[in-house]
Amino acid sequence: MSLIQLDKVCKTYRTGNLEVPAVVDFTATIEAGEFTVLAGPSGSGKTTLLNLIGCLDQPSSGQVVLDGRNVATTPTRKLADFRLRHIGFIFQSYNLIPVLTALENAEFTLMLRGVPQQQRHQRVRELFALLGLEGLENRRPNDLSGGQQQRVAIARAIAAEPAVVLADEPTANLDSRASRELLELMHRLNREQRTTFVFSSHDPQVVDMARRVISLHDGRLADDRRREP
Amino acid sequence: MLILAWRNIWRNRRRTLITLAAIALSVTLVQAFHNLSYGVYQSMIAGGVRAGSGHLTIYRKGYVDSRDERLSWRRGDLAEQAAALPGVEAVLPRVYLPGMAQSSRESRGILLTGIDPRAERPINPFLKGLDDTRMIRSLSGRDALVGFRLLKELKLKPGRKFVVTVQNRSGDLASELFRVRGVITTGLKDVDGRLIMVGLKKAAAMAGIGGEIHELAIILDQPRRDRDVGPALEKLIHNRRQLVVIPWDRAMPNLANAIKLDYASQKFIFAIILLIVTIGVVNTQLMSVMERYREFGIILAVGATAGRLRLLVLTESLIIGLSAMLLGSALGSLATLYLSRVGIDLRSFVSESLEFGGVIFDPVLRAAWDFGYMTQIACYVVILSLLAALYPARKAGRIQPAEAMRKI
Repeated sequence: MSLIQLDKVCKTYRTGNLEVPAVVDFTATIEAGEFTVLAGPSGSGKTTLLNLIGCLDQPSSGQVVLDGRNVATTPTRKLADFRLRHIGFIFQSYNLIPVLTALENAEFTLMLRGVPQQQRHQRVRELFALLGLEGLENRRPNDLSGGQQQRVAIARAIAAEPAVVLADEPTANLDSRASRELLELMHRLNREQRTTFVFSSHDPQVVDMARRVISLHDGRLADDRRREP
Repeated sequence: MLILAWRNIWRNRRRTLITLAAIALSVTLVQAFHNLSYGVYQSMIAGGVRAGSGHLTIYRKGYVDSRDERLSWRRGDLAEQAAALPGVEAVLPRVYLPGMAQSSRESRGILLTGIDPRAERPINPFLKGLDDTRMIRSLSGRDALVGFRLLKELKLKPGRKFVVTVQNRSGDLASELFRVRGVITTGLKDVDGRLIMVGLKKAAAMAGIGGEIHELAIILDQPRRDRDVGPALEKLIHNRRQLVVIPWDRAMPNLANAIKLDYASQKFIFAIILLIVTIGVVNTQLMSVMERYREFGIILAVGATAGRLRLLVLTESLIIGLSAMLLGSALGSLATLYLSRVGIDLRSFVSESLEFGGVIFDPVLRAAWDFGYMTQIACYVVILSLLAALYPARKAGRIQPAEAMRKI
């Protein structure tokens, strides 16, 4: 069974009396361990599709099935729990909680899962070592560079060892060097920990590194290519 | 979550401090002014019961409403039995007779009050200032204490004689000659213009009621002892069905009603203060939630439930409420301490004595501790802070993560 199944998914937003289709008849499956990029210009439906995969939004029609669970028929509370246990999020603008330190931000999902403090700290320190964030544990987000903040966001996303990490244009606010380092890091996590990554991006650097590129145009599937590693 | 809540409330330091100060100040104001009123009321009640009815009073049924001097009663050993009860400080038998006082030049309507000078003197605030040379010497002598205004109106002086005429039980007029021994100044116009105090036996003899009295005022060492002493007195009079035990607020309805009315208006003001504070907290919390709309979306996206988010907002409000309550109570205690020791001196504002509900009170207003009420207000503030956060918390819990994250 595929990890992510999208079957004839449509998502329409209403702006006043106007209905704007964001995703139209999208069908695809993503297997566990894949490193996939949703590519396309702005407004092509990448973020909407990520939100649907991440159970943050419900499709207007069609089905989103995650790990055998139909998102449309799952209660909100259970969806929150599913997100907590199975999905990690990385956002374009990092979205760290400004009043928490780097370490506290990274351990946030573990804290929500009720993991004891000692275990949380141990896990986050391991990740900080892996992500090159050692020594920055007690800094607040405002005292970190963009690249460092995004790495803390990655630590938060993968701390609870989710089945899939969804990243919405994670390199959009980073320079090319920081972007490359970040992508290499995620590649390594994908290889070593078999974490499934689904990106949205129109950054050629990201698209080049992906093993599967799903192209979107005006909310429709335009192309789906796989590359050999 | 607690750390997050604590740090969140300090994000906008100025706003939090203003909110905190507003709540704390209202707690301080309400507690301090309640304690001041409580102290003033206590002092009025203390003055009233000592000069008037007592904390508890035994009357013959119907006397309180009619003040009919024919409703006297034989006290027997009831005064001694009542005095032996724990919590009783003094027992004051009294006789009241309306009558007429005549000097060689004027005559006036009076209220002749027969007292036991030995028992009355250490208790009654109007007699405390009189030394031995100005005090009634016996229960049946001709010494009289005359109200300050009455003395002037009768054009009398201490040492001068005057005649008092009353109607005795059989309807005949009875007159006696008295000598002014001392002058009483209560500050109450009506009392100072009508009061004459004489020995208890002399007054009873004039009325033709022998060893009977109209009132047995019971003074307690603590006002709250009335809960024990009241039932004990009821037991003592259970076989004398014509007698009743009346608490001070029924015996002195003017004072009790004046205090009730004054306190009700204060409560109304306190309620408005607390309402304004609650609206302030709602506003602060709502602004705080709306400012973090996107952030709450992120917290929900990473797996927090709406319930956790609601709890976070409620915790933030609880922290503000608790902190303000502690600060406000500390300041309220300091203000009460100052007001109880130094007080507010009104002597420079009022030239005459202050009357309230028919009782004179000290122009230096002093607070008294009412810990029960202080605790009550402290709890109200914490509960109100939580109630004020319910709507913002509900709002936070309804945030849709995808929609929130689209907001910039």
